[in-house]
Amino acid sequence: MATSDFLGLKKELPPSRRLVLTILSFVGPLILWAAVSYIPWLWHPLVRITDPGEVEYFSERMEVPRAEFAKQVDEMLKAKSEPPKGYRVNPVYLPAPHEVVKAFYTGFTTPPRLPNEPWLHQSLLHSIYTIFWGFVLSSIVGVPLGILCGTFRFFSRLQEPFIEYFRYLPAPAFGALCVAILGINDGPKIAIIVIGTFFQQVLVIANTVRKVDPSLIEAAQTLGSKGWNLVRRVVIPASITEIYTDMRILLGWAWTYLIVAEVVGTMSGITFFINQQARYRNFDNVFAAIAMIGIIGFTSDLLLAWIGKLIFPWKRKRGARKSSVIPISMVAKQNRLPAEEEKPEPPAGPESAPASIPAPGTAPETNA
Amino acid sequence: MSTASLELPDYHQQTPEVVARFERIRQRPVVLKVENLKKGFGDPNHEHVVFDKVSLDVYRREFITIIGPSGCGKSTFIRIAAGLDEATGGTILLDGKSISGPGPDRGMVFQGYTLFPWRTVKQNVMFPLENQGKSASEAESEARQWLDMVGLGRFEESYPHELSGGMKQRVAIARALANNPRVLIMDEPFGALDAITRAKMQKHLIEIWRQVDVTILFITHDLDEAVYLSDRILVLGVNPGGVREFIENPVPRPRSVAQFLTPEFLAVKHRLDELIHPPEADTEEDTLPMVKLTQAGDEVE
Repeated sequence: MATSDFLGLKKELPPSRRLVLTILSFVGPLILWAAVSYIPWLWHPLVRITDPGEVEYFSERMEVPRAEFAKQVDEMLKAKSEPPKGYRVNPVYLPAPHEVVKAFYTGFTTPPRLPNEPWLHQSLLHSIYTIFWGFVLSSIVGVPLGILCGTFRFFSRLQEPFIEYFRYLPAPAFGALCVAILGINDGPKIAIIVIGTFFQQVLVIANTVRKVDPSLIEAAQTLGSKGWNLVRRVVIPASITEIYTDMRILLGWAWTYLIVAEVVGTMSGITFFINQQARYRNFDNVFAAIAMIGIIGFTSDLLLAWIGKLIFPWKRKRGARKSSVIPISMVAKQNRLPAEEEKPEPPAGPESAPASIPAPGTAPETNA
Repeated sequence: MSTASLELPDYHQQTPEVVARFERIRQRPVVLKVENLKKGFGDPNHEHVVFDKVSLDVYRREFITIIGPSGCGKSTFIRIAAGLDEATGGTILLDGKSISGPGPDRGMVFQGYTLFPWRTVKQNVMFPLENQGKSASEAESEARQWLDMVGLGRFEESYPHELSGGMKQRVAIARALANNPRVLIMDEPFGALDAITRAKMQKHLIEIWRQVDVTILFITHDLDEAVYLSDRILVLGVNPGGVREFIENPVPRPRSVAQFLTPEFLAVKHRLDELIHPPEADTEEDTLPMVKLTQAGDEVE
């Protein structure tokens, strides 16, 4: 009896269905948004006046709540006056999808209102610049320190308790302090991102390094590795792919600190743009800018994932897992079929194997 | 035990060739000298002693197998020999010098392969050679030789996860031997392999050992494997932990699978079985209480 595993309880879904589901995950929320925007009887709590009729305080293009509008229509009809006309709209802060899509283009082509305000692309670049330096500065110290703490108990005990305490202090709390020390420009913003990233980074990476299979380290020790050589040639390569994944996740966290960082001192970057546009009530631009942060974050992560596959070739092929962390039961399963073992093996019996190699060091006698 | 019912010779009986061979082995220098080795856990007053008073001499190019019931500390013993654990008493001398910590003079092969997944097969074997400070080209050509010896020359550019278990273990052996260790320590190296691969690996190992000047300490829980491979078999016990017997294996060399049914092979195996599974242990704790789970009316049996 074949039970169909449509939901993928036990096995991965076929690629075509995976793709459809990935698209659906984006399409679902979009459909909801489009429905609320385009179906007039869904939500649309306001009425935009096209003709004020004889209501004194109504004017054209004014937006009033539906209940208020209905009351005025009622009163006008009772008084045999001309009732107001209008159509249902959503509030200004919920632009329709097509307006936001348009804003993606117009956002870049529309010059800023004031000559000294940045263009959208300048704002975005400024944000990326802030994130980049914040993350790089944090990593320059955080990654080596994390590796050190993960490898040697000494450094772990020396550093981690304080870092553990410090990471509970919210980075934004340091805003005023950073401004006092570093001025009002980019310095404090980068500092906020460093504070927000660094302490998590050390702990996360130390933890990852601690998870390196101890038998790999023991094997290396019996092969003559010790001290710094052991760290450089075994501990780091054994954990580098996991550290890389950690870094991708940490970069995501750094983005969440960006908005906080950018309101410190003089507001800058994409936060400035968003605030400015909200002030002008260009909510289509606000939505577009927020979506852009997501797109930049998401694509940079995809890019990093792709680069990861390039620089870690041993992770590329299917079934790529550390051999030593596979439970023995799985290994036994892999080898269950002798035919599988046979196939990849070259003829390696006594006829092809030995003979070519002279024994290193001459024995007092052979063991024949 | 089926072997018990057969008329088996005394396992102490050796043919003149075997006697002469052990005589020659004893002429060789002692590579590993273990004296009064003791390992215990916990504070001195309530110490749990794993083993005590373990003393033995291992001669150059000998193949020693260590066997014993679980909990006898055979893994602990070779981990101490490898320098990965510390003894609580006694000494181990390698070529007359006391060992401290792991070192390249004692290679180790683990049951879990422990190949470096980020290195190709060739780079794995190059690892100890690079540690010795050899140049890349020198290390590479030497690694190739070792890979040829274990018959994996064609797989030098593969990554460990692309190999089968038996192949991984052969790479691990090549990597350990590339360091020219005095002693090769193997902790149940074939324990995770299926029976057919295991038999092939045993054959390979004998071939390799004949080619290389190395002394082997080999842990197993497989009695056939112990008798098939070794010169002498160290049997450890529990309660009290320590050496039960150090058996000179009367099975002549060269070894072959055909010897599995010779009287002396079976005699040694029977003796090992007696030592590891003493008859009285079978009575109570090893038998599970059996409750009859059949229903009324089930009278098939």
